[in-house]
Amino acid sequence: MHSDKKITKEDTWRPADLRRHIREEGLGDDYVKKRDDNERKHRAGESIERRRRDPEKESRRERDKPRDSTRERRDEDKKDRYADRRKEGSLDRRGVKERDSRDDRDREKRRERDKLVDGKRYDDDYKRKEREHEKERDKERHRDKERERDRERGNEEGKDKRREERDKERRREERNREHRTERERRRHEESGDGERDRMEKLEREKRDRHRERERPKDEYQVKRNDKERRERHGDRKHLEVKEEREHKEEQRRHGEEKERIPKERGYDEKRKHDSESRENRDLKGSGKEVRHHGGDRDRAERDKHKERRHREEEKPERNHHRDGTISKKAASDKSHKHETKTEVSNDEDLADQEYEDDFEKLDYEEDFEEMDESANEDEDEEEPQPPEVGEEREELTEQKRKEIEAIQRAMDEENERVGTAQSRQIPSKKEEERPKWSGGSENSQSRASPRGKFIDFVAAKQREVSKKVATKQKKRSTELLRLIDLDFSMTVSLLDLPPVNEYDMYIRTFGTANTKQAYVQCNEDNADRDIQTEEIEVCEKWTQHPPEHNGACGDPNLSQEARDKSEMNFDSRRLTAFLRSASQVMVVLLEEDRAERKSLSKLRSQTDTLSFSDGSLQLNTKLPFLYGRRISLVHFSQVQRHTMMSVHRPTTKPSAVRLDSCTIICIWNIWEPSRPQKVLVYESEVQCCCFSPGKAIMVFAGTSVGSVVLWDLREHTSDHYSLKIGEDEWTFRQPTFSTDAVMAGSGHFSSVTSVEAVPSTVAGGLRPEVPLLASEEESAGLSFQLASLDEIGVLNFWVVVELPKANEAGSPTDLGLRPGGKVKLLHSSQLLTAERVSPRDAAKTGPLQTLHFKFLPTDSNHFFIGTNMGLVNHETSHGLKAPPKFYRFQEAGVRPVDITSIHFSPFRQHLFLVGCGDGSIRLHAVSHEQPVAEWKNSTAGEPVVSLQWTQTRPTVFCVLDAASNLHIWDLLKNDSEPVVTERMDSDRVTAMAVFGDSGQQNTYSGIALAHESGNIEMQYFKRHFTVAITAEEDKLESVMAEAF
Amino acid sequence: MEGSDTYLIRPNHQYKFKSAIVKECIREIVRERLSGMLYDSEEVSELSRSLADDIKDKVKNAGFDRYKLVVQVVIGEQRGQGVKMSSRCLWDADTDNYAEDVFMNDSLFCVVAVFGSYYY
Repeated sequence: MHSDKKITKEDTWRPADLRRHIREEGLGDDYVKKRDDNERKHRAGESIERRRRDPEKESRRERDKPRDSTRERRDEDKKDRYADRRKEGSLDRRGVKERDSRDDRDREKRRERDKLVDGKRYDDDYKRKEREHEKERDKERHRDKERERDRERGNEEGKDKRREERDKERRREERNREHRTERERRRHEESGDGERDRMEKLEREKRDRHRERERPKDEYQVKRNDKERRERHGDRKHLEVKEEREHKEEQRRHGEEKERIPKERGYDEKRKHDSESRENRDLKGSGKEVRHHGGDRDRAERDKHKERRHREEEKPERNHHRDGTISKKAASDKSHKHETKTEVSNDEDLADQEYEDDFEKLDYEEDFEEMDESANEDEDEEEPQPPEVGEEREELTEQKRKEIEAIQRAMDEENERVGTAQSRQIPSKKEEERPKWSGGSENSQSRASPRGKFIDFVAAKQREVSKKVATKQKKRSTELLRLIDLDFSMTVSLLDLPPVNEYDMYIRTFGTANTKQAYVQCNEDNADRDIQTEEIEVCEKWTQHPPEHNGACGDPNLSQEARDKSEMNFDSRRLTAFLRSASQVMVVLLEEDRAERKSLSKLRSQTDTLSFSDGSLQLNTKLPFLYGRRISLVHFSQVQRHTMMSVHRPTTKPSAVRLDSCTIICIWNIWEPSRPQKVLVYESEVQCCCFSPGKAIMVFAGTSVGSVVLWDLREHTSDHYSLKIGEDEWTFRQPTFSTDAVMAGSGHFSSVTSVEAVPSTVAGGLRPEVPLLASEEESAGLSFQLASLDEIGVLNFWVVVELPKANEAGSPTDLGLRPGGKVKLLHSSQLLTAERVSPRDAAKTGPLQTLHFKFLPTDSNHFFIGTNMGLVNHETSHGLKAPPKFYRFQEAGVRPVDITSIHFSPFRQHLFLVGCGDGSIRLHAVSHEQPVAEWKNSTAGEPVVSLQWTQTRPTVFCVLDAASNLHIWDLLKNDSEPVVTERMDSDRVTAMAVFGDSGQQNTYSGIALAHESGNIEMQYFKRHFTVAITAEEDKLESVMAEAF
Repeated sequence: MEGSDTYLIRPNHQYKFKSAIVKECIREIVRERLSGMLYDSEEVSELSRSLADDIKDKVKNAGFDRYKLVVQVVIGEQRGQGVKMSSRCLWDADTDNYAEDVFMNDSLFCVVAVFGSYYY
């Protein structure tokens, strides 16, 4: 084979030879590559890059194994492609290049793809390889034969390509195997070294030694130097190949070179490679070179030394191929250099070679693994080294850069020289060199590529992993996407903040800046509270059973109400009072008018009968309850001259009205003669009566039973018992107050003969000009005294008290007061007035009887009592007795003559007339005991019943005697006998009273005559009896003066 | 072999992304962190980042199994400007969901959106 090759090399290249040559070359290349690889593994530890990746390596060791296998496969592939390409012949270089680069890429991909299924793949590969190995082993035995056959066939190029390929493949396999075994051997050799330190030391020593040895070599063996340089270059390249790209580039270049080989046959391959290396070096860039210079240099030297050693080993190998002796020699060669270590390695080498040659590769896998592990171990072990190396490198840099430059220059020169002398070079040398070179180049390539691949791995691993994951995910996603529907979600509004307009913004930021609270509302909690329910009104009421008239019920609050009512009703009361009086006036006027017409006609008719009468008026006494009653008294009010009262005695005749035993007193208004204004009732006989002083609002009466009774004429008619007689309803008034049995101790025990109201000291009340309506007097509680005289001379003074309020229920204290009555009598004092003139007189005349009494109109302290002795006692109610003590007849002596009447002159109030029972009439002056005048027998011996001064003429008085003769005296005309004497025999006059009013324009004067029949006749005097004459009072004065 | 792979293409109901719960998480954190805060443009980027992390951690602990979470926090100053934010997703509406919450005070607004995407 050698010879063949050599021959062919020296001669012109035949295609077959070339092919074979290349095959061998490839074989050698591979071999060298592997070896270099191993070397690299030793040295690689020194590289910074590797050190950097060491941690990763640990984790990736597992993965490296398969990768190694794939690397081998890739190599195979490459070879395949290479062969194919070669078959295709001359192709466009460019295209090839591109394809190569593409292939590289493909390779990468494939590697990755392979990794995905590594386990399985690995097994497959392994099996396949084993199979192939077996096959190849069989074939290998025939290889030599085949080759020879090939060569014999020589120029017959019509060789079956298939077979060629198969061969090639076979060869490649073999090469791989060799390569692997070689590597193994190396590793064993090195691992055998054991201690790292020792290794280092040895290496250093070796290096030094080699350097010494190198110099001579360099000097005379330029070629070798060149080679070394190339190797160094390769080493450097290996060091520098950190970037994959560069690495790839390099690979591609190698690829190119390989391609170029068949094409440019004329060229010396060595030269090509030189230039290429130069190119590479240039390409790598000086900066990098410079950077690694020291290291390079150092390493280069070490490499050189090693290469040399290897070359020495290779040379025998190549030359003698599987000659164990030679290799042994080389090993021994080495061993004598490196003492102990080399021996081991030699043994190993030997064993390896033997193994490589003959041994069936049963332990291939194990070895392989072992190798990897050892490699890794080496790497691990080498870790601590780099710093030292780095230091060394730095020390060396400066000195050695120059050296390196010099060497480079030398290399360039040699390259040129080689280029020119290419054709002339000795084939043998070339031949010899070529493998070396190719080994170097291949070494650089293989060294670079595995190294590059490795680096690539580390870097690519990540990519690979991510790609793996990506593909996995992609697969996932493709599978999942079938299952899943993706859809667009609704557009979701995450935030929609409307812009604030400027005003709002302004207000928000500055709106409150200048404001302040200007007012505060306080007292918010002062709320009103309302109570919905209303207060319950409560009032007290009382009731009485059985109900009597309207006072059966009432209430204490009524007073208030009543007062209010009274105040409110005051006007109405006044109105009713007014109406009453007004109506009375109207009635009076009407009746007057009627009566006047009647009386006028009557008067004319009666003119004859009564000479003094100007007319008469008949009071309507024809009432059922007055029927058959005798009138005992007729009395006129001194103030209200038109008011008259008539006392009707009880009758013995039975009548329809059951008031027989009662005395009836009728109050008349003389201008209203048709009916009495009020009717008063008393159970017993009334002896005397009088009106209240002032207005005729009360009537007092003294009774035969010794009681004093009082009627309040103001009481309402409803308070009294009313009786319907015929068509008219009459109210019979019971006395308001009665002293009957009430004041037993202080009352009268005999019949009361006279009652007189005590005139007030102020004599105003006596004046006739008292207004008709004395409302003040009426309403104001009037208070005056009343005196009552009984037969035995007991004079009682009473105080008339008007209660402020009437009590309907009656008074428990005032038992004499009628329920509802307001006026009562309080006993004031009692006087015993019966004084005998002398005891002798009394004895003569019997007991003294007080028959009549009068108060002095001007002084209420003085009162005059008419007695049954014909004397008028003059007494005072209090104080000293005033003279004269009594008023007597003109002749001395006492006669038992009753004083029937005493009457003071309304004009001369100190003059009074006294009528006696013997018919004599005396005119007395208060100051004198003896009378001013005495007229005897004027009545013809008839007792005087009543005598009265006329109201209008001071000198005229009327005398009624018991024989019903009326005598009218006019002292002015005749002071010795009466002017007129009328005898009324037909109907006897039982009582008479003079009335008249002089104060007013229509002066009238008359006399009321009560007849026996019960009629009351009002006779008006004629004009000469009515109208006063100016000389009258003077006449009276003259009479008085004449008398005293 | 791969054809026989089984996939869990729907989350178990109890692990499903529930936006109400997430919203509550967001609200809680945002209220806690942002109440009374004033907008500070320098702090806000850091703030939003930490907010997003907090929210993400919290939501992770909420037990949404096999969910990939995306938390988006936007903090802006309130100056009366109009803001409109919206999102649109291409997803599997059966499994994926989102939750968002807006926090506002006088000075700033904060929009937090958490998207949960189911990892088949």
